[in-house]
Amino acid sequence: MQDFLYFLQQLINGLTIGSTYALIAIGYTMVYGIIGMINFAHGEIYMIGAYTALIAITGLAALGIAWLPLVLIVALICAMIVSSSMGWAVERVAYRPVRGKHRLIPLISAIGMSIFLQNYVHLAQGSRNVGFPDLIEGGFRFGAADSFQTSISYMQITIFITTLVCMTVLSLFISRSRIGRACRAVSQDLGMANLLGIDTNRIISATFVIGAALAAVAGLLLGMYYGSIDPLFGFIAGLKAFTAAVLGGIGSIPGAMLGGLILGVAESMTSGYLSGEYKDVVSFGLLILILLFKPTGLLGKPEVEKI
Amino acid sequence: MSTPIKKLVTAIGTSIAVMGAGHAAAEIKIGIAGPMTGPVAQYGDMQFSGARMAIERINADGGVDGEMLEAVEVDDVCDPKQAVTVANRLVNEGVRYVVGHLCSSSTQPASDIYEDEGILMITPASTSPDITERGYELVFRTIGLDSMQGPVAGKHLISLEPERVAVVHDKQQYGEGIATSVRDTLEDAGVEVAMFEGITAGDKDFSSLITKLKQADVDYVYYGGYHPELGLILRQARSADLDAVFMGPEGVGNKDINTIAGDAAEGLLVTLPPSFDEKEENQDLVKAFEEKDEDPSGPFVLTSYSAVQLIAEGIEAAGSTDPFDVAEALREGTFQTPIGTVEYDSKGDMESFEFVVYEWHSDGSKTPVN
Repeated sequence: MQDFLYFLQQLINGLTIGSTYALIAIGYTMVYGIIGMINFAHGEIYMIGAYTALIAITGLAALGIAWLPLVLIVALICAMIVSSSMGWAVERVAYRPVRGKHRLIPLISAIGMSIFLQNYVHLAQGSRNVGFPDLIEGGFRFGAADSFQTSISYMQITIFITTLVCMTVLSLFISRSRIGRACRAVSQDLGMANLLGIDTNRIISATFVIGAALAAVAGLLLGMYYGSIDPLFGFIAGLKAFTAAVLGGIGSIPGAMLGGLILGVAESMTSGYLSGEYKDVVSFGLLILILLFKPTGLLGKPEVEKI
Repeated sequence: MSTPIKKLVTAIGTSIAVMGAGHAAAEIKIGIAGPMTGPVAQYGDMQFSGARMAIERINADGGVDGEMLEAVEVDDVCDPKQAVTVANRLVNEGVRYVVGHLCSSSTQPASDIYEDEGILMITPASTSPDITERGYELVFRTIGLDSMQGPVAGKHLISLEPERVAVVHDKQQYGEGIATSVRDTLEDAGVEVAMFEGITAGDKDFSSLITKLKQADVDYVYYGGYHPELGLILRQARSADLDAVFMGPEGVGNKDINTIAGDAAEGLLVTLPPSFDEKEENQDLVKAFEEKDEDPSGPFVLTSYSAVQLIAEGIEAAGSTDPFDVAEALREGTFQTPIGTVEYDSKGDMESFEFVVYEWHSDGSKTPVN
């Protein structure tokens, strides 16, 4: 029983972290699916989302507003607006002028953008860790009170539910709405979609905006879950999310979700049963193994041959 | 090079040499090298304020054997490359004694230059054991070593009679070094170390580690590393209801841990150098700092003060201003300084340097634990 509760706890830990990887990974995978480039500045957009949310929460607290749902919604909306405009601006400034050039050029432009944004936040917000207030406290516990208890906090539940809602809305949006249909068309054949009268520039901008908005959601959730943020934390999370996207099959939205969850669970099981030192070894080893046997990732389509 | 320019350069060169010589005859130059700018400039301020005060007070008392001390201040930004540049500048200025540098990573490359050029260096802040491991004759410090802190922390844990202890570190030179020495101290005393594990510096999610600590049912956790990670571990441990007591080295004893961990920082145990400014015999000195509107409570203010004082007393004891004679005198003598009685071993480390265990509070204050 003890062992099972321990396993359950590590599984919950892994799924929590995995679902936020999935939220960030969506941004990588959508952009890759549509224009075939890797947006390395995406991790920074996520970090900026977290900072904006923190500024909004602090601002509201200074105004004396403490009603939790209102605080969260205002913080979320602020973060999404700022991140989305950032995502849009990054595409407009750094990627559109070099679109259609050799594939290395947008990649380098993206890395440059990532360094620029990181250092901008360093300058504007300082390089120290800043703490997030504890907004959602408490949780459920299972197991006998005198031995190991499995706990699931309200914060973890919030993360699961929010991720689930975001993923469902996104899937419906892509499969049902007009812009979603245009997105799918552009991802199948950009030139042809253009000929058929789809404003591809608008669709590409929309992709960046959607990806950035989801990253902002992840930024707020993870900022609250971990408790502190710094200008570099987008880089590491971005790397993990990118790995999740590749693991699941880059370009595929369900793949990003699956990849995120697998990576999160693999990490927590490794640190739970082996040692925290091997966490990254196992998760990246897993990536290499999957790419060896299935080079397109778990759910990737084999015919992806773009650019 | 055309002749007129050549002449000009020679003229400037000569005049600088003459000026330098003129100064050297009347004064003893003391280089103060540390970060005036950059991320750790606040520590640099402590260093400069302590060293300046010492020079001022020594000069007011008539100097060293009648010669006045003169400060030459340089900024190394806590950057190893910059440290080499400013060390060379001190060499060119004819400095023969240096108080500095602050960061171990700056002290190490700069000390190579000082040793080669026959300059005596006392670092008031660098704790890396490597600095004095190289058999240099002219390198000293007025602070303890990382390897002294581990045993202090380990012994304190033993005195608390723990059932099971976990030792966690950040896999970096500083953190893992201290954590290993804590583990060894505990094991030698027969205390069960239930876990010895590394985390990745920069990580944010410690839920797996905390679950493991809960499963291992430990009552104390020692963490070797810095405050950003420990702050998060404390906070996440509290929300997961882990009721173990945490302990860390001076790298976590910093007010920033309170912004990260919030209330969860209450009760954290930290090993730190003692608060020299609270000692009875230093109250005169503390008053002198307060008159200048400076704060003597920072960890490196009085270590820097003592470094200058040691140089002055070393020169007096040696009866010579040759850095090699002064080094000899420092190794042989016993000196009373604001940081206590200083005796040096052959490597240039203090024979003993006290670390005290403090209990940290959620408002950023600390109280000593006995």
